[in-house]
Amino acid sequence: MAEMTLVEAVNQALVYEMQVDPDVIVMGEDVAKNGGVFRATVGLLDKFGPLRVLDTPLAESMIAGLAIGMSMRGLKPVAEFQFMGFSYPALDQIINHASRMRNRTRGRFSCPIVFRTPFGAGIHAPEHHSESTEAYFAHTPGLRVVIPSSPVRAYGLLLASIRDPDPVVFLEPSRLYRFAKQEVTNDGKALPLDVCFTLRVGEDVTLVTWGAMVKETLAAANSLSQQGVSAEVIDVATIKPLDMETILASVEKTGRCLVVHEAPLTCGVGAEIIAQVAEKGLFSLKAPPGRVAGFDTVVPYARLEKYYIPSEKRIIDGVHRLMEFA
Amino acid sequence: MKIFNLPDLGEGLAEAEIREWYVKIGDEVHVDQPLVSMETAKAVVDVPSPYAGKIVELHGKVNDIIQTGAPFITFETSDVPDTERLGKNPDKGSVVGKLETSEKKWDDGNVIIGASKPKSQTIKAMPAARVLAQQMKVDLSQVTPTGPQGLITPDDVKKVIDHKPQSTKLMGQTETLHGVRRAMALTMAQLHRAIVPVTIIEDADITDLPPDMDMTVQLLKAMVAAVKAEPALNAWFDGNALERKLFDEVHIGLAADTKEGLFVPVIKHVEQQSQEALRQIIDTYKNAVRTRSITPADMQGATITLSNFGMITGRYATPIIVPPTVAILGCGRSREVAIPRNGQIVIGRMVPLSLTFDHRVVTGGEATRFLGALIKYLQENN
Repeated sequence: MAEMTLVEAVNQALVYEMQVDPDVIVMGEDVAKNGGVFRATVGLLDKFGPLRVLDTPLAESMIAGLAIGMSMRGLKPVAEFQFMGFSYPALDQIINHASRMRNRTRGRFSCPIVFRTPFGAGIHAPEHHSESTEAYFAHTPGLRVVIPSSPVRAYGLLLASIRDPDPVVFLEPSRLYRFAKQEVTNDGKALPLDVCFTLRVGEDVTLVTWGAMVKETLAAANSLSQQGVSAEVIDVATIKPLDMETILASVEKTGRCLVVHEAPLTCGVGAEIIAQVAEKGLFSLKAPPGRVAGFDTVVPYARLEKYYIPSEKRIIDGVHRLMEFA
Repeated sequence: MKIFNLPDLGEGLAEAEIREWYVKIGDEVHVDQPLVSMETAKAVVDVPSPYAGKIVELHGKVNDIIQTGAPFITFETSDVPDTERLGKNPDKGSVVGKLETSEKKWDDGNVIIGASKPKSQTIKAMPAARVLAQQMKVDLSQVTPTGPQGLITPDDVKKVIDHKPQSTKLMGQTETLHGVRRAMALTMAQLHRAIVPVTIIEDADITDLPPDMDMTVQLLKAMVAAVKAEPALNAWFDGNALERKLFDEVHIGLAADTKEGLFVPVIKHVEQQSQEALRQIIDTYKNAVRTRSITPADMQGATITLSNFGMITGRYATPIIVPPTVAILGCGRSREVAIPRNGQIVIGRMVPLSLTFDHRVVTGGEATRFLGALIKYLQENN
């Protein structure tokens, strides 16, 4: 047991899995000698050497393509993009090849790759270092999209993602990288993919969120409890495929659903969740389902980003709108 | 005097090496003028001047390595540096950003992985049923569901509404008026200050009418006949502008008593409707009032009003005019009476009528002629 930050938990999971599985390869820009832009891969080069920890050129399409080739020949690459905005040159390789290799080859080949990248605003960086475009990936069949929200889940979900036989896009909320510490047991136990984590049990409203927004959502739930509103908080964790069973069971209990995400509102993952709640949970709803999300704009630069990220107040206001219905 | 510290020339670079100075001490420089060529681990870059002014000191010579953030060039300048312009702690961005760090402990509490079934059976209801139940103050847990998979339908809620006691209010408690009842209180008080109401009463002999006839429909038709005889009562009056408007068409507001208060749906063009059609319209409105699905449009545009309170109890009344109309007919409970006819006393049937009119705009003669024509129609046209 050791207390660590979320980014240290990522490092811990990489170290553990590289020790037990010689097929695991870490690659990306500045991941080896430098230890990664956020130090997620620090120390790996010393422990595992240059054949397993690779500094690549500044060419994300190549990083993804290289990982696909390695994975089809039995390796398990964990490829890092320095920021989410830099993953777009790799979309061609990820969408056209990694996500559909199993289908294309009728199951003869698969791509056990983890594409890691930090994402989200709140770190006073430029817009292409701050966006939340998880919906791009979630929309693509054949990709798993996993987002941890605590050191424990970063450790357990990254292990599960590396062990998964298909490509996983592993999005790390950079705003939470060093926000707080948590006891993480380095026992190599993975957490399950494709299920939600209910962080707080409540009776009146279901708050569905993921990634860094878990922080504001939990704070809102605490404030709401002082106002007599009991909120259940669900960390979706795997946003593709969605564990609607957990969300629907909760909505059936509370009758109210508010999705909170940092990504822009339009066509965000919240739209998919609300659609399924409407399709399958409508008759349990006491109020129209709601969303609190980022605005349909480019993430603003440092001084304005606090107005962009959904605040605790916006979440509380969103819940009050739902509570107006008896 | 301003000291310019070496900025991060890349992404997280710790230092840079001086390749060539483009300026010397004493030079006057302008903003963005290249000052020096620096070599970093990534590239060779020119550093532009942040200020306009005079170079006072260069904190290094060619081939010296300067740490990021260390004093680099001293200027004599009146320019205000960013730190003063934006305050002590400017909310500045940088290429790699700045992560929030804290000594906080992450407390996850008891995390539940995956779905947990609700302990108790929850109520499933169609959205329309929920809205109806909310409006009619019906507790959904008291409704028996008949829809598929135990789903409560709007009809299920209506069944409960039909069996609800008329008065659900608790006695002895002060209650703030809402909705229809509140609107009634406000408008009636306001109106009565302006109107000059006069009520005339008379009985209509309906002895010869079939006992199963539809009194409300007969009254509606009789009002149309009375309007033809005396149009002055089928009118709108604006007391402020002193403007009167007479109507050919007869739109009759039919006052309906409900436990929520008084509703007055308007039957349009009564003069064009058959008796059967009128009955159908009345029944539709009754249902709409009961389920609160009646719309504001259904309750607008009356040219005259009928209040058939005789279905409940009461003989005569002084019903109140609803502006801008100028007359309202009240119909009480019909009763058996001894009637002298041809020197004999016969048992007949009378229906008591009360006509209130606004004497500002309707004369006594017009009102009595109207009531006379109405009674004549009731007694003769069957």
